[in-house]
Amino acid sequence: MSVEVEVDESDLAEMVEQVWESYLDPEGVSPLIPTYDENQPSEVHSSVSITGSWTGHVVYASSRAAAKRAAAAFLAMELEEVSEEDMSDTLGELANIVGGNVKAMLPPGAQLSLPQVVLASESSARYPNAQRISGVYGMWEGEPVSISMWQVSTDNKEEGA
Amino acid sequence: MTPMRAMVIDDSRAMRMILKRIVTKLNFEAVEAGDGKEAMDLLADMTEVPELALIDWNMPNMNGLEFVTKVRADPRLREMTLVMVTTESEQSQIVRALAAGAHEYVIKPFTEGAMIEKLALLGLVPTGANS
Amino acid sequence: MTLSQAEFTFVANLVRREASIVLAAGKEYLVEARLIPVARAVGAANVNDFIGDLQKRPNPAYQRKIIDALTTNETSFFRDREPFAALTDVVLPELIKSRASVRKLRFWSAASSSGQEAYSLAITLQETLPAGWSFEIVGTDISTAMVERAQKAEYSQVEVNRGLAATQLVQYFERAGAHWRIIPALRKNVSFKHMSLTAPFPPMQPFDVIFLRNVLIYFDVATKRQVLQNAAKILRPDGLLFLGAAETTIGIDDNYERVAAGRTSAYRTRTAAPAGAARRG
Ligand SMILES: C[S@@+](CC[C@H](N)C(=O)[O-])C[C@H]1O[C@@H](n2cnc3c(N)ncnc32)[C@H](O)[C@@H]1O
Repeated sequence: MSVEVEVDESDLAEMVEQVWESYLDPEGVSPLIPTYDENQPSEVHSSVSITGSWTGHVVYASSRAAAKRAAAAFLAMELEEVSEEDMSDTLGELANIVGGNVKAMLPPGAQLSLPQVVLASESSARYPNAQRISGVYGMWEGEPVSISMWQVSTDNKEEGA
Repeated sequence: MTPMRAMVIDDSRAMRMILKRIVTKLNFEAVEAGDGKEAMDLLADMTEVPELALIDWNMPNMNGLEFVTKVRADPRLREMTLVMVTTESEQSQIVRALAAGAHEYVIKPFTEGAMIEKLALLGLVPTGANS
Repeated sequence: MTLSQAEFTFVANLVRREASIVLAAGKEYLVEARLIPVARAVGAANVNDFIGDLQKRPNPAYQRKIIDALTTNETSFFRDREPFAALTDVVLPELIKSRASVRKLRFWSAASSSGQEAYSLAITLQETLPAGWSFEIVGTDISTAMVERAQKAEYSQVEVNRGLAATQLVQYFERAGAHWRIIPALRKNVSFKHMSLTAPFPPMQPFDVIFLRNVLIYFDVATKRQVLQNAAKILRPDGLLFLGAAETTIGIDDNYERVAAGRTSAYRTRTAAPAGAARRG
């Protein structure tokens, strides 16, 4: 049996809110407005994997425009200055921060992977044997952004762990 | 007067940029390293030891906890103020880092104001400089 | 959709009457932004309908929600540091001498918001008082939502990053899911109650120290004076009042005098304390 996940939707929403407050919207003027739309489109994504007491992924996904804006806010740059590398580093760190906080809420013995970033649509690269267990979906200044958690099925976990 | 120096040690370039921006605002001169090993190598070549190091925990080659342990074991680096800046937020991890010799601990995500307050707590910022 | 002048006036009057907080004209946009979630939460179609209904049928619960949404609750642990350092360095050593026979202190965090100020006082007292001493801290606020948060004593990662030393986080908090909760041993000396500072005060035992910080700024001069006079009656004659960095009694209530407290200042009632002030012993 897999450990029951102790991270629910409201925990995830709170972490996301803190990331916005800290880096993406320190002035509190452009929050992520929830859409509850699990199927909203995305063009870029980043993720970290967690293994051990719980096995799965924490995934950031958004439009390119939102990713660019996130990098500009994170790195205190003008939008026009943002390079592909800036975008990819920022998305990686966003996944890492949310993933790290998720990990802290799991039973001891969970490990966090290095972040992976794909500056392309994520739909083709869905996580095998993984099932979405919670997510925060919203619009940020009119652009889709989501943070979701995917649990890897237990069968798969047995051979892995 | 020579400015104070701060080492920013994190494998994420984006996070290094954020930290660098904050310490630069506080008139530190920033030195970057991508992991503990690189930071140790840089320190070995420095004649003057930086006043402050901001240290991520999870990094390749040498992690933040190992770095703190190594610095604490070296009398030459005794004066460095060590601040962990990490997503590791289990209480037991904070205790481990403090026991290894870290002076302060900042959990990611942090606001710029929170980081400045922490540094003020350590006497590295004139109080009331920012709020 | 924007608020009509009549709707804004209705809300402004409500907040002025209940909390003595003045919403200047021009704040219509702010009021609306803060009230959208409230209107949604109670099932109103929009803010206009929400206010319209309230004008027709007064509803105390909804009025509370409006006040909650429109009062500014910004606070943090050990906010501004200096007042807390002053307690440790000069105020408490004095009190430890003068209260040696009772060995008990009572502090008030008036306008306690989500409780960080009251718990910072508790940590300060816990770390400074000698063995055998006890203390009681009372926090009060007009916002019932804030009083409930303070009683719950749970704080987010971002909130505990601010103002606390790592050793204090480890010592006085425990993890509670995504949050950090104050440990029961510290919580047991701290209580919170709903109370408006601008209504007549309920009966209260006198306090050794009052923190009345960052709330007078919202009031007009007459209200400030009234609050300060009421506070004087429950401050012990040798007790101290701490105000926010941008606040003072000077020019408002001459019954107080400013005294140095460490690197900041505090206020004491003049020796000719107003009649009815609590006397020691
Ligand atoms: C900015 S916070 C200050 C919190 C804390 N004292 C500090 O300095 O950090 C102001 C608080 O005053 C409360 N408040 C506003 N008007 C009030 C009134 N008339 N009576 C009691 N509390 C009031 C608000 O609900 C809010 O929590």
